[in-house]
Amino acid sequence: MSLEQDRWTGVGLDRQVQAASSNPVILDGQALALWRGEDGPVRVWEDRCPHRGMRLSFGFVRGDTLRCIYHGWAYRTDGQCVEIPAHPDLAPPKTICANSYPAESRYGIVWTNLSGAGSAALPDFGADEGWEPVRSIYVDRPASVVREALHSFDFGDVSEVRMNGGSAALVRVRSGLEILFAVQPVSDGKTALHAVAKGQGVAGRRADLARRLERLRATIERA
Amino acid sequence: MAVTTDSVALNEWVPCGWLGQVPLGGQMDTVIFGQKISITRSDDDCYRVETLPEDGSSGRQLPVQTRYCCIFTTLGEAKRPLPEIAEFDEPDRRVTGCGSVGVNTSPYRLVENFLDMAHFSFIHTDILGAPDRTEVLAYKTEHRKDVDEIWAIDCTFYQPAASKASATGQMTQYVYRVMSPFSVMLYKNVHCDPTRNDAICVFIQPKGETECLAYMPMAIVDENSSTADLIDFQQSIFLQDRVILENQRPALLPLDPTYELPTRADASSIAYRRWLKAMNIKFGIYEKQAA
Ligand code: FES
Ligand SMILES: [Fe+2]
Repeated sequence: MSLEQDRWTGVGLDRQVQAASSNPVILDGQALALWRGEDGPVRVWEDRCPHRGMRLSFGFVRGDTLRCIYHGWAYRTDGQCVEIPAHPDLAPPKTICANSYPAESRYGIVWTNLSGAGSAALPDFGADEGWEPVRSIYVDRPASVVREALHSFDFGDVSEVRMNGGSAALVRVRSGLEILFAVQPVSDGKTALHAVAKGQGVAGRRADLARRLERLRATIERA
Repeated sequence: MAVTTDSVALNEWVPCGWLGQVPLGGQMDTVIFGQKISITRSDDDCYRVETLPEDGSSGRQLPVQTRYCCIFTTLGEAKRPLPEIAEFDEPDRRVTGCGSVGVNTSPYRLVENFLDMAHFSFIHTDILGAPDRTEVLAYKTEHRKDVDEIWAIDCTFYQPAASKASATGQMTQYVYRVMSPFSVMLYKNVHCDPTRNDAICVFIQPKGETECLAYMPMAIVDENSSTADLIDFQQSIFLQDRVILENQRPALLPLDPTYELPTRADASSIAYRRWLKAMNIKFGIYEKQAA
Protein backbone atom coordinates (compact mmCIF):
# COMPACT_ATOMS: atom_id res chain seq x y z
CA MET A 1 0.00 0.00 0.00
CA SER A 2 3.05 2.22 0.26
CA LEU A 3 2.91 2.30 -3.52
CA GLU A 4 -0.17 4.49 -3.30
CA GLN A 5 0.08 8.12 -4.31
CA ASP A 6 0.46 10.56 -1.46
CA ARG A 7 -2.81 12.43 -1.82
CA TRP A 8 -6.05 13.01 0.01
CA THR A 9 -9.19 11.69 -1.60
CA GLY A 10 -12.77 12.21 -0.49
CA VAL A 11 -14.44 8.85 0.11
CA GLY A 12 -17.87 9.89 1.37
CA LEU A 13 -20.06 12.52 2.91
CA ASP A 14 -19.48 12.71 6.63
CA ARG A 15 -23.18 12.81 7.34
CA GLN A 16 -23.79 9.60 5.39
CA VAL A 17 -21.70 7.55 7.80
CA GLN A 18 -24.17 6.95 10.58
CA ALA A 19 -23.24 6.61 14.21
CA ALA A 20 -22.42 3.00 15.19
CA SER A 21 -22.11 1.79 11.60
CA SER A 22 -19.48 0.28 9.30
CA ASN A 23 -19.67 0.78 5.54
CA PRO A 24 -17.80 -0.55 2.49
CA VAL A 25 -16.04 1.85 0.12
CA ILE A 26 -13.63 1.15 -2.72
CA LEU A 27 -10.85 3.58 -3.52
CA ASP A 28 -8.47 2.84 -6.40
CA GLY A 29 -9.50 -0.81 -6.20
CA GLN A 30 -8.72 -0.97 -2.48
CA ALA A 31 -11.55 -2.13 -0.25
CA LEU A 32 -12.03 0.15 2.76
CA ALA A 33 -14.35 0.17 5.74
CA LEU A 34 -15.64 3.56 6.88
CA TRP A 35 -16.91 3.28 10.39
CA ARG A 36 -17.99 5.51 13.23
CA GLY A 37 -18.38 4.71 16.90
CA GLU A 38 -21.46 5.65 18.81
CA ASP A 39 -19.98 9.12 18.73
CA GLY A 40 -16.77 10.57 17.36
CA PRO A 41 -15.20 10.90 13.94
CA VAL A 42 -15.24 8.53 10.97
CA ARG A 43 -12.38 6.02 10.72
CA VAL A 44 -11.02 4.66 7.47
CA TRP A 45 -9.62 1.14 7.67
CA GLU A 46 -8.57 -1.56 5.31
CA ASP A 47 -11.68 -3.70 4.81
CA ARG A 48 -9.98 -6.83 6.08
CA CYS A 49 -9.85 -8.29 9.56
CA PRO A 50 -6.27 -9.16 10.52
CA HIS A 51 -7.48 -12.49 11.92
CA ARG A 52 -8.94 -14.38 8.97
CA GLY A 53 -9.60 -11.65 6.42
CA MET A 54 -13.32 -11.07 6.96
CA ARG A 55 -14.45 -7.71 5.64
CA LEU A 56 -14.70 -5.26 8.51
CA SER A 57 -17.46 -3.37 6.72
CA PHE A 58 -19.66 -6.31 7.80
CA GLY A 59 -18.66 -5.63 11.40
CA PHE A 60 -20.80 -4.20 14.16
CA VAL A 61 -20.07 -1.31 16.48
CA ARG A 62 -20.31 -1.42 20.27
CA GLY A 63 -19.42 1.82 22.02
CA ASP A 64 -16.21 2.87 20.34
CA THR A 65 -15.06 -0.56 19.22
CA LEU A 66 -15.62 -2.21 15.87
CA ARG A 67 -16.25 -5.92 16.12
CA CYS A 68 -15.60 -8.31 13.29
CA ILE A 69 -18.67 -10.36 12.49
CA TYR A 70 -16.81 -13.66 12.01
CA HIS A 71 -15.26 -14.33 15.42
CA GLY A 72 -16.19 -11.15 17.24
CA TRP A 73 -12.69 -9.74 17.68
CA ALA A 74 -13.04 -6.15 18.93
CA TYR A 75 -10.88 -3.30 17.66
CA ARG A 76 -10.38 0.06 19.34
CA THR A 77 -10.48 3.27 17.29
CA ASP A 78 -6.68 3.20 16.91
CA GLY A 79 -6.93 -0.26 15.33
CA GLN A 80 -5.61 -2.22 18.31
CA CYS A 81 -7.44 -5.49 18.99
CA VAL A 82 -8.74 -5.40 22.55
CA GLU A 83 -10.84 -8.55 22.83
CA ILE A 84 -10.80 -12.08 21.43
CA PRO A 85 -14.03 -13.79 22.53
CA ALA A 86 -12.59 -17.29 22.02
CA HIS A 87 -10.16 -16.47 24.83
CA PRO A 88 -11.92 -14.12 27.23
CA ASP A 89 -9.00 -14.06 29.66
CA LEU A 90 -6.34 -13.33 27.10
CA ALA A 91 -5.04 -9.81 26.58
CA PRO A 92 -4.65 -9.64 22.79
CA PRO A 93 -1.03 -9.15 21.72
CA LYS A 94 -0.08 -5.67 20.55
CA THR A 95 0.75 -7.07 17.13
CA ILE A 96 -2.93 -7.65 16.37
CA CYS A 97 -3.95 -4.38 14.88
CA ALA A 98 -6.35 -3.45 12.09
CA ASN A 99 -4.74 -1.55 9.24
CA SER A 100 -5.97 2.03 9.38
CA TYR A 101 -5.51 5.05 7.14
CA PRO A 102 -5.51 8.72 8.05
CA ALA A 103 -9.03 10.15 8.05
CA GLU A 104 -10.04 13.80 8.18
CA SER A 105 -13.40 15.42 7.93
CA ARG A 106 -13.44 18.76 6.13
CA TYR A 107 -16.24 20.57 4.30
CA GLY A 108 -18.55 17.73 5.28
CA ILE A 109 -16.45 15.23 3.31
CA VAL A 110 -14.40 12.36 4.73
CA TRP A 111 -10.89 12.39 3.23
CA THR A 112 -8.27 9.71 3.40
CA ASN A 113 -4.71 9.15 2.20
CA LEU A 114 -3.79 5.59 1.25
CA SER A 115 -0.07 6.30 1.28
CA GLY A 116 -0.38 6.29 5.06
CA ALA A 117 2.40 8.53 6.35
CA GLY A 118 1.60 11.07 3.68
CA SER A 119 2.81 14.64 3.82
CA ALA A 120 0.41 16.03 1.23
CA ALA A 121 -1.93 18.74 2.48
CA LEU A 122 -5.68 18.37 2.65
CA PRO A 123 -7.53 20.18 -0.16
CA ASP A 124 -7.94 23.76 0.95
CA PHE A 125 -10.94 25.80 -0.15
CA GLY A 126 -11.06 28.17 2.78
CA ALA A 127 -12.95 27.94 6.02
CA ASP A 128 -14.67 24.72 7.02
CA GLU A 129 -17.93 26.42 8.00
CA GLY A 130 -21.14 26.68 6.04
CA TRP A 131 -20.88 23.64 3.81
CA GLU A 132 -24.02 21.58 3.35
CA PRO A 133 -23.94 18.00 2.06
CA VAL A 134 -25.73 17.58 -1.27
CA ARG A 135 -25.28 13.97 -2.28
CA SER A 136 -22.93 11.36 -3.71
CA ILE A 137 -23.25 9.98 -7.22
CA TYR A 138 -21.60 6.97 -8.79
CA VAL A 139 -20.58 7.20 -12.42
CA ASP A 140 -19.62 4.32 -14.70
CA ARG A 141 -16.66 6.19 -16.17
CA PRO A 142 -12.99 6.66 -15.23
CA ALA A 143 -12.06 9.59 -12.99
CA SER A 144 -10.26 11.43 -15.81
CA VAL A 145 -13.49 11.60 -17.81
CA VAL A 146 -15.47 12.75 -14.79
CA ARG A 147 -12.97 15.53 -13.98
CA GLU A 148 -13.14 16.74 -17.55
CA ALA A 149 -16.93 16.80 -17.44
CA LEU A 150 -16.94 18.95 -14.30
CA HIS A 151 -15.32 21.73 -16.34
CA SER A 152 -18.00 21.93 -18.95
CA PHE A 153 -21.22 20.95 -17.22
CA ASP A 154 -23.98 23.50 -16.83
CA PHE A 155 -24.45 24.08 -13.11
CA GLY A 156 -26.20 27.36 -13.76
CA ASP A 157 -24.14 30.46 -14.48
CA VAL A 158 -20.62 29.18 -13.75
CA SER A 159 -17.98 31.81 -13.13
CA GLU A 160 -15.06 29.60 -12.18
CA VAL A 161 -13.98 25.95 -11.91
CA ARG A 162 -10.94 25.30 -9.75
CA MET A 163 -9.29 21.89 -9.55
CA ASN A 164 -7.25 20.79 -6.62
CA GLY A 165 -4.72 18.17 -7.66
CA GLY A 166 -7.33 16.01 -9.34
CA SER A 167 -9.14 14.93 -6.22
CA ALA A 168 -11.38 17.96 -5.75
CA ALA A 169 -13.07 20.63 -7.85
CA LEU A 170 -14.73 23.85 -6.77
CA VAL A 171 -17.43 25.21 -9.01
CA ARG A 172 -18.45 28.86 -8.43
CA VAL A 173 -21.81 29.96 -9.72
CA ARG A 174 -22.48 33.68 -10.20
CA SER A 175 -25.51 33.62 -7.95
CA GLY A 176 -23.08 33.22 -5.06
CA LEU A 177 -23.25 29.45 -4.72
CA GLU A 178 -20.18 27.26 -4.43
CA ILE A 179 -20.24 23.54 -5.11
CA LEU A 180 -17.35 21.39 -4.02
CA PHE A 181 -16.82 17.98 -5.57
CA ALA A 182 -14.55 15.28 -4.21
CA VAL A 183 -13.55 12.89 -6.99
CA GLN A 184 -13.06 9.31 -5.82
CA PRO A 185 -11.65 6.86 -8.37
CA VAL A 186 -13.32 3.56 -7.46
CA SER A 187 -11.85 1.26 -10.08
CA ASP A 188 -10.63 1.71 -13.64
CA GLY A 189 -14.06 2.46 -15.04
CA LYS A 190 -15.94 3.73 -12.00
CA THR A 191 -15.89 7.01 -10.12
CA ALA A 192 -17.74 8.41 -7.14
CA LEU A 193 -18.45 12.12 -6.74
CA HIS A 194 -19.25 13.60 -3.35
CA ALA A 195 -20.82 17.04 -3.51
CA VAL A 196 -21.26 19.70 -0.86
CA ALA A 197 -22.40 23.28 -1.36
CA LYS A 198 -22.29 26.60 0.38
CA GLY A 199 -23.61 30.08 -0.20
CA GLN A 200 -26.85 31.97 -0.28
CA GLY A 201 -30.02 29.94 -0.01
CA VAL A 202 -28.12 26.69 -0.21
CA ALA A 203 -30.61 24.85 1.95
CA GLY A 204 -33.48 25.67 -0.39
CA ARG A 205 -31.52 24.61 -3.46
CA ARG A 206 -30.50 21.14 -2.33
CA ALA A 207 -33.21 19.39 -4.32
CA ASP A 208 -32.36 21.37 -7.45
CA LEU A 209 -28.66 20.57 -7.02
CA ALA A 210 -29.35 16.89 -6.51
CA ARG A 211 -31.32 16.89 -9.77
CA ARG A 212 -28.47 18.59 -11.60
CA LEU A 213 -26.05 15.98 -10.27
CA GLU A 214 -28.28 13.24 -11.55
CA ARG A 215 -28.21 14.98 -14.94
CA LEU A 216 -24.45 15.26 -14.70
CA ARG A 217 -24.16 11.53 -14.20
CA ALA A 218 -26.47 10.81 -17.13
CA THR A 219 -24.57 13.26 -19.36
CA ILE A 220 -21.18 11.71 -18.58
CA GLU A 221 -22.40 8.16 -19.10
CA ARG A 222 -24.09 9.09 -22.37
CA ALA A 223 -20.95 10.64 -23.84
CA MET B 1 -10.50 -20.37 -16.94
CA ALA B 2 -7.11 -22.02 -17.37
CA VAL B 3 -6.51 -25.57 -16.16
CA THR B 4 -4.16 -25.57 -13.19
CA THR B 5 -0.68 -26.97 -13.71
CA ASP B 6 -0.21 -27.66 -10.00
CA SER B 7 0.40 -31.41 -9.86
CA VAL B 8 -0.04 -31.47 -6.08
CA ALA B 9 -3.64 -30.36 -6.49
CA LEU B 10 -4.23 -32.42 -9.63
CA ASN B 11 -3.19 -35.63 -7.88
CA GLU B 12 -6.05 -35.47 -5.36
CA TRP B 13 -9.39 -37.19 -5.65
CA VAL B 14 -12.20 -34.64 -5.78
CA PRO B 15 -15.98 -34.97 -6.06
CA CYS B 16 -17.58 -33.94 -9.34
CA GLY B 17 -21.23 -34.81 -8.76
CA TRP B 18 -23.52 -36.55 -6.34
CA LEU B 19 -24.98 -39.96 -6.88
CA GLY B 20 -28.28 -39.58 -8.64
CA GLN B 21 -27.45 -36.21 -10.11
CA VAL B 22 -26.83 -37.75 -13.54
CA PRO B 23 -29.93 -39.55 -14.84
CA LEU B 24 -29.60 -43.15 -16.00
CA GLY B 25 -28.35 -43.08 -19.57
CA GLY B 26 -27.75 -39.35 -19.19
CA GLN B 27 -24.83 -37.00 -19.16
CA MET B 28 -23.64 -33.93 -17.23
CA ASP B 29 -20.81 -31.42 -17.75
CA THR B 30 -18.91 -29.76 -14.95
CA VAL B 31 -15.45 -28.33 -14.19
CA ILE B 32 -12.58 -29.34 -11.89
CA PHE B 33 -9.41 -27.27 -11.50
CA GLY B 34 -10.45 -25.24 -14.54
CA GLN B 35 -10.81 -28.37 -16.69
CA LYS B 36 -14.17 -29.12 -18.28
CA ILE B 37 -15.24 -32.71 -17.76
CA SER B 38 -18.21 -34.78 -18.79
CA ILE B 39 -19.91 -37.46 -16.71
CA THR B 40 -22.03 -40.14 -18.32
CA ARG B 41 -24.02 -42.79 -16.50
CA SER B 42 -24.71 -46.09 -18.24
CA ASP B 43 -26.02 -48.08 -15.29
CA ASP B 44 -27.10 -47.66 -11.67
CA ASP B 45 -23.60 -47.30 -10.32
CA CYS B 46 -21.66 -47.11 -13.54
CA TYR B 47 -20.20 -43.70 -14.33
CA ARG B 48 -17.69 -42.64 -16.91
CA VAL B 49 -15.79 -39.35 -16.57
CA GLU B 50 -13.71 -37.78 -19.28
CA THR B 51 -12.11 -34.44 -20.01
CA LEU B 52 -13.70 -32.12 -22.57
CA PRO B 53 -10.82 -30.38 -24.34
CA GLU B 54 -11.55 -26.81 -25.48
CA ASP B 55 -10.47 -27.56 -29.05
CA GLY B 56 -13.12 -30.23 -29.48
CA SER B 57 -10.64 -33.10 -29.71
CA SER B 58 -11.54 -36.31 -27.95
CA GLY B 59 -11.12 -36.35 -24.21
CA ARG B 60 -9.09 -38.42 -21.81
CA GLN B 61 -10.88 -40.95 -19.64
CA LEU B 62 -10.45 -40.32 -15.92
CA PRO B 63 -10.57 -42.71 -12.96
CA VAL B 64 -13.92 -42.87 -11.15
CA GLN B 65 -15.04 -43.96 -7.69
CA THR B 66 -18.44 -43.67 -6.11
CA ARG B 67 -18.65 -43.34 -2.33
CA TYR B 68 -20.14 -41.18 0.37
CA CYS B 69 -23.02 -40.20 -1.95
CA CYS B 70 -20.52 -38.64 -4.39
CA ILE B 71 -18.83 -39.36 -7.70
CA PHE B 72 -15.07 -38.85 -7.32
CA THR B 73 -12.45 -38.41 -10.00
CA THR B 74 -8.90 -37.13 -10.41
CA LEU B 75 -7.01 -35.43 -13.22
CA GLY B 76 -3.64 -36.67 -12.04
CA GLU B 77 -2.23 -39.74 -10.37
CA ALA B 78 -3.85 -40.01 -6.99
CA LYS B 79 -1.24 -40.34 -4.26
CA ARG B 80 -3.74 -41.16 -1.54
CA PRO B 81 -6.87 -43.31 -1.59
CA LEU B 82 -10.29 -41.99 -0.70
CA PRO B 83 -10.56 -41.81 3.08
CA GLU B 84 -12.05 -44.65 5.11
CA ILE B 85 -15.04 -43.43 7.09
CA ALA B 86 -16.43 -46.47 8.87
CA GLU B 87 -19.59 -44.75 10.12
CA PHE B 88 -21.02 -44.74 6.63
CA ASP B 89 -21.14 -48.55 6.71
CA GLU B 90 -23.04 -48.90 9.98
CA PRO B 91 -26.49 -50.28 9.16
CA ASP B 92 -28.57 -48.06 11.45
CA ARG B 93 -27.02 -44.80 10.24
CA ARG B 94 -28.99 -42.19 8.38
CA VAL B 95 -26.75 -41.56 5.39
CA THR B 96 -27.68 -38.56 3.31
CA GLY B 97 -25.94 -36.57 0.64
CA CYS B 98 -27.36 -33.07 1.04
CA GLY B 99 -26.55 -32.26 -2.60
CA SER B 100 -23.99 -29.57 -3.31
CA VAL B 101 -23.78 -25.85 -2.64
CA GLY B 102 -21.78 -23.36 -4.69
CA VAL B 103 -19.39 -21.07 -2.84
CA ASN B 104 -17.17 -18.43 -4.40
CA THR B 105 -13.96 -18.72 -2.45
CA SER B 106 -10.91 -20.95 -2.36
CA PRO B 107 -11.45 -24.52 -1.17
CA TYR B 108 -9.16 -23.97 1.81
CA ARG B 109 -11.29 -21.16 3.24
CA LEU B 110 -14.14 -23.67 3.27
CA VAL B 111 -12.09 -26.29 5.08
CA GLU B 112 -10.93 -23.78 7.68
CA ASN B 113 -14.44 -22.55 8.29
CA PHE B 114 -15.53 -26.13 8.90
CA LEU B 115 -12.66 -26.68 11.36
CA ASP B 116 -13.44 -23.52 13.27
CA MET B 117 -15.36 -23.48 16.55
CA ALA B 118 -14.71 -19.82 17.39
CA HIS B 119 -17.33 -18.57 14.95
CA PHE B 120 -20.24 -20.66 16.30
CA SER B 121 -21.43 -18.02 18.76
CA PHE B 122 -21.36 -15.29 16.12
CA ILE B 123 -22.48 -16.89 12.88
CA HIS B 124 -24.65 -19.75 14.19
CA THR B 125 -25.99 -17.86 17.19
CA ASP B 126 -28.36 -19.86 19.44
CA ILE B 127 -27.81 -23.01 17.36
CA LEU B 128 -24.15 -24.06 17.42
CA GLY B 129 -23.05 -21.37 19.86
CA ALA B 130 -24.37 -19.00 22.52
CA PRO B 131 -23.50 -15.30 22.57
CA ASP B 132 -22.42 -15.49 26.21
CA ARG B 133 -20.36 -18.70 25.90
CA THR B 134 -17.75 -17.93 23.31
CA GLU B 135 -14.69 -19.56 24.83
CA VAL B 136 -12.81 -22.18 22.84
CA LEU B 137 -11.06 -24.51 25.26
CA ALA B 138 -7.63 -25.87 24.46
CA TYR B 139 -7.58 -28.86 22.12
CA LYS B 140 -4.88 -30.90 20.45
CA THR B 141 -3.89 -31.12 16.82
CA GLU B 142 -1.80 -33.80 15.21
CA HIS B 143 -0.41 -34.67 11.84
CA ARG B 144 -1.03 -38.41 11.47
CA LYS B 145 1.87 -39.35 9.28
CA ASP B 146 0.70 -42.91 8.50
CA VAL B 147 -2.37 -41.61 6.66
CA ASP B 148 -1.05 -38.08 6.09
CA GLU B 149 -4.08 -36.45 7.69
CA ILE B 150 -4.52 -33.53 10.09
CA TRP B 151 -6.61 -34.26 13.18
CA ALA B 152 -7.92 -32.01 15.93
CA ILE B 153 -8.97 -33.94 19.03
CA ASP B 154 -10.46 -33.20 22.46
CA CYS B 155 -12.45 -30.30 21.11
CA THR B 156 -15.42 -29.12 23.18
CA PHE B 157 -17.86 -26.30 22.75
CA TYR B 158 -21.10 -25.32 24.42
CA GLN B 159 -24.00 -25.59 21.98
CA PRO B 160 -27.60 -24.50 22.54
CA ALA B 161 -28.98 -26.75 19.75
CA ALA B 162 -26.19 -28.97 18.46
CA SER B 163 -28.28 -30.97 15.98
CA LYS B 164 -31.76 -31.59 14.70
CA ALA B 165 -32.25 -34.10 17.54
CA SER B 166 -31.22 -31.91 20.47
CA ALA B 167 -33.80 -30.43 22.79
CA THR B 168 -31.44 -28.68 25.20
CA GLY B 169 -27.96 -27.21 25.27
CA GLN B 170 -24.91 -29.44 25.68
CA MET B 171 -21.15 -29.44 25.80
CA THR B 172 -20.48 -30.97 22.41
CA GLN B 173 -17.34 -33.04 21.90
CA TYR B 174 -15.81 -32.72 18.50
CA VAL B 175 -13.09 -34.52 16.62
CA TYR B 176 -12.02 -32.97 13.32
CA ARG B 177 -10.23 -34.72 10.54
CA VAL B 178 -8.71 -33.23 7.39
CA MET B 179 -8.34 -36.09 4.92
CA SER B 180 -6.99 -34.10 1.97
CA PRO B 181 -6.54 -30.44 1.04
CA PHE B 182 -10.09 -30.59 -0.31
CA SER B 183 -11.91 -32.74 2.24
CA VAL B 184 -12.65 -32.46 5.90
CA MET B 185 -15.02 -34.06 8.37
CA LEU B 186 -16.08 -33.97 11.96
CA TYR B 187 -17.31 -36.43 14.53
CA LYS B 188 -19.58 -34.96 17.18
CA ASN B 189 -21.16 -36.71 20.10
CA VAL B 190 -24.74 -37.78 19.72
CA HIS B 191 -27.33 -36.31 22.02
CA CYS B 192 -29.05 -39.59 22.88
CA ASP B 193 -26.08 -41.98 22.92
CA PRO B 194 -22.73 -40.97 24.44
CA THR B 195 -20.94 -43.92 22.86
CA ARG B 196 -21.56 -42.84 19.28
CA ASN B 197 -20.66 -39.93 17.01
CA ASP B 198 -22.40 -38.28 14.10
CA ALA B 199 -20.08 -38.10 11.10
CA ILE B 200 -20.41 -35.05 8.87
CA CYS B 201 -18.15 -34.51 5.87
CA VAL B 202 -17.40 -31.76 3.42
CA PHE B 203 -15.92 -32.82 0.11
CA ILE B 204 -15.01 -29.90 -2.10
CA GLN B 205 -15.06 -29.77 -5.88
CA PRO B 206 -12.69 -26.93 -6.82
CA LYS B 207 -14.06 -25.64 -10.13
CA GLY B 208 -11.50 -22.85 -10.11
CA GLU B 209 -9.20 -21.24 -7.56
CA THR B 210 -12.03 -19.26 -5.99
CA GLU B 211 -15.06 -21.22 -7.15
CA CYS B 212 -16.19 -24.35 -5.35
CA LEU B 213 -19.00 -26.80 -4.97
CA ALA B 214 -19.32 -28.27 -1.49
CA TYR B 215 -20.81 -31.72 -0.91
CA MET B 216 -21.85 -32.61 2.61
CA PRO B 217 -22.50 -36.30 3.06
CA MET B 218 -23.29 -37.34 6.60
CA ALA B 219 -23.94 -40.48 8.61
CA ILE B 220 -26.19 -39.56 11.50
CA VAL B 221 -27.62 -41.42 14.48
CA ASP B 222 -31.16 -40.10 14.69
CA GLU B 223 -34.26 -42.26 14.56
CA ASN B 224 -36.80 -39.49 14.62
CA SER B 225 -35.95 -36.61 12.30
CA SER B 226 -36.96 -36.89 8.68
CA THR B 227 -34.21 -36.90 6.07
CA ALA B 228 -35.54 -33.59 4.78
CA ASP B 229 -35.17 -32.10 8.27
CA LEU B 230 -31.61 -33.37 8.63
CA ILE B 231 -30.67 -31.85 5.30
CA ASP B 232 -32.47 -28.59 6.07
CA PHE B 233 -30.55 -28.24 9.31
CA GLN B 234 -27.16 -28.76 7.66
CA GLN B 235 -27.97 -26.50 4.75
CA SER B 236 -29.27 -23.64 6.86
CA ILE B 237 -26.02 -23.78 8.86
CA PHE B 238 -24.01 -23.84 5.68
CA LEU B 239 -25.82 -20.87 4.17
CA GLN B 240 -24.88 -18.83 7.25
CA ASP B 241 -21.25 -19.74 6.61
CA ARG B 242 -21.44 -18.93 2.93
CA VAL B 243 -22.04 -15.23 3.58
CA ILE B 244 -18.79 -15.16 5.53
CA LEU B 245 -16.85 -17.31 3.10
CA GLU B 246 -17.64 -15.11 0.14
CA ASN B 247 -16.53 -11.98 1.97
CA GLN B 248 -13.09 -12.94 3.23
CA ARG B 249 -10.25 -11.00 1.62
CA PRO B 250 -8.30 -12.24 -0.14
CA ALA B 251 -10.40 -15.15 -1.32
CA LEU B 252 -7.20 -17.11 -1.96
CA LEU B 253 -5.58 -18.53 1.16
CA PRO B 254 -2.52 -16.72 2.52
CA LEU B 255 0.01 -19.13 4.05
CA ASP B 256 2.25 -16.41 5.48
CA PRO B 257 1.51 -16.48 9.24
CA THR B 258 2.11 -12.74 9.54
CA TYR B 259 -0.50 -11.85 6.93
CA GLU B 260 -3.39 -13.31 8.91
CA LEU B 261 -2.87 -13.55 12.64
CA PRO B 262 -4.12 -16.66 14.44
CA THR B 263 -4.80 -17.26 18.09
CA ARG B 264 -4.89 -20.49 20.15
CA ALA B 265 -8.39 -21.35 18.96
CA ASP B 266 -6.99 -21.52 15.42
CA ALA B 267 -4.63 -24.40 16.20
CA SER B 268 -6.34 -26.60 13.60
CA SER B 269 -6.12 -23.91 10.93
CA ILE B 270 -2.45 -23.38 11.79
CA ALA B 271 -1.75 -27.10 11.42
CA TYR B 272 -3.71 -27.21 8.15
CA ARG B 273 -1.80 -24.25 6.67
CA ARG B 274 1.56 -25.72 7.68
CA TRP B 275 0.61 -28.98 6.06
CA LEU B 276 -0.46 -27.22 2.85
CA LYS B 277 2.77 -25.28 2.81
CA ALA B 278 4.86 -28.41 3.35
CA MET B 279 3.16 -30.19 0.44
CA ASN B 280 3.95 -27.11 -1.68
CA ILE B 281 0.46 -26.76 -3.09
CA LYS B 282 0.05 -23.66 -5.27
CA PHE B 283 -3.51 -23.87 -6.57
CA GLY B 284 -5.78 -21.42 -4.70
CA ILE B 285 -2.94 -20.06 -2.57
CA TYR B 286 -2.39 -16.32 -2.15
CA GLU B 287 1.06 -15.13 -3.14
CA LYS B 288 1.73 -11.66 -1.82
CA GLN B 289 2.82 -9.29 -4.57
CA ALA B 290 6.38 -8.20 -4.12
CA ALA B 291 6.43 -4.59 -2.89
S1 FES C 1 -11.86 -12.90 10.83
FE1 FES C 1 -12.33 -11.20 12.03
S2 FES C 1 -12.49 -12.00 13.99
FE2 FES C 1 -11.90 -13.69 12.81
FE1 LIG D 1 -19.99 -22.43 10.41
